[in-house]
Amino acid sequence: MSEKHEGFMKALKCRECGREYPLAATHVCEFDFGPLEVAYDYDRIKKSMTKAAIHSRAQSMWRYRELLPVANDPTVGLQVGFTPLVKADRLAKKLGIRELWIKNDTVNYPTLSFKDRVVSVALSRALELGFETVACASTGNLANSVAANAASAGLKAYVFIPSDLEQGKIVNSLVYGANVITIKGHYDEVNRLCAEIAGKFGWAFVNVNMRPYYSEGSKSMAYEIIEQSGWRIPQHTVVPMASGSLLTKIQKGYQEFVKLGLVAEAEYSIHGAQATGCSPISVAQKAGLDFFKPVKPNTIAKSLAIGTPADGFYALRVMKETGGAADDVTDDEIREGIRLLAECEGIFAETAGGVTVGVAKKLIASGKIPANDSAVLCITGNGLKTLDAVVGHVGKTREIKPSLREFEAMLASEEKVNA
Amino acid sequence: MPAKKTSKPTSQDTVQQTRLWLMYPPKLIKKPLIWELGHKFKVVTNIRQASVTDEIGIVCLELDGKREAVKAAIKWLTKTGVSVEPVEISVIAS
Repeated sequence: MSEKHEGFMKALKCRECGREYPLAATHVCEFDFGPLEVAYDYDRIKKSMTKAAIHSRAQSMWRYRELLPVANDPTVGLQVGFTPLVKADRLAKKLGIRELWIKNDTVNYPTLSFKDRVVSVALSRALELGFETVACASTGNLANSVAANAASAGLKAYVFIPSDLEQGKIVNSLVYGANVITIKGHYDEVNRLCAEIAGKFGWAFVNVNMRPYYSEGSKSMAYEIIEQSGWRIPQHTVVPMASGSLLTKIQKGYQEFVKLGLVAEAEYSIHGAQATGCSPISVAQKAGLDFFKPVKPNTIAKSLAIGTPADGFYALRVMKETGGAADDVTDDEIREGIRLLAECEGIFAETAGGVTVGVAKKLIASGKIPANDSAVLCITGNGLKTLDAVVGHVGKTREIKPSLREFEAMLASEEKVNA
Repeated sequence: MPAKKTSKPTSQDTVQQTRLWLMYPPKLIKKPLIWELGHKFKVVTNIRQASVTDEIGIVCLELDGKREAVKAAIKWLTKTGVSVEPVEISVIAS
């Protein structure tokens, strides 16, 4: 590959005014505070990134490396991505749709959530820019992924978390040797302090000053869906929304493959899923608004509980452009979604997965996703991370003495009940 | 609060620039809150962008001042009912 120093990246570009900035660790336009995004040299990428070239590469998200924002070969998370796209016939039947696929990031490497995609990009770029310390503020999956990937890269990691976080989530970051700092206070205060820390210490704060690079990692999910679908864009993609970033990057990924001629242009819709207890984007979409109103989250889907979604405006725009819809589901519907996915397909998703399945069910029932069409559900994290949300809601064990007779009696009584 | 003359400058004394998004609920949209802010606290206010609809008012604001003054100004805004976010909006990710 004949590459310049910055690989296939051209500049950072403001999403609002289009002003360009050097490819440094910066994230906001100085003119209008708009978010910065990586712009690429697509003419050069077209020559380098053919289907044959992609097929010849290892099965990880880095097989699309020209479209990921690193100047040289990646150095962190080389095994991340290329998770299974599973044909979900049993769930399709339950939800009443002709064809359904699950993009299964519950088994993403190494920390079982799609965050490994964004973190491996952010840390690879952080090393290129000369950082030795990385950081993040998170309530779960991101913290785990930063801690694990930083450990494997030999980077020092600081992870900031609200002090009321469950012990399990803290252990999942501590075990990798990260500096885990718990912060007492209301969410808004913690949020502002983290922004101050990010601005002050000159670290690679993955979702702050590294955000333009970090968020690009999400596009790899779109590339994989297209390739694994036989180089087609699915008619419908249902995406969980926290900040709304993943949904916008799925759209960017689809459009980039169209631009590069890797996939034929086709009609498709991208739909958004939220929990009713934190649904600023879905409420705005259903009301036909192009802006959202901030909310105070109250839902078991903690990984989607962002009351002021940074990319909410852009997510609304993508749904409008692609004819997509949004909806939201209650805590009970989220648990039902988790159960349906587990019982039909053997995939145990965290609460965000329950949200996606629950919303897909609603969109199919309402005809917003027509029953004769095909859909992909993006399932972004593993159920082992949110066991608390389903304990007591997924059936009961039955106890017997060590006696065959007792076991047979139990089966017989159950058959009688089920008859 | 002014620091003692003999003490070293602390982070509280440093003049800093803070970039914020303010979100006004409908009932506050017509109030001159930024004017009030400039009179109540020793901060320089600089509006960089604004958008107002019937439902919400959004202002992109730069606040320059000593850390304590900026913190107090933000506290007053939130107490008044304005949602105050750093320029990055949600720094805490899931």
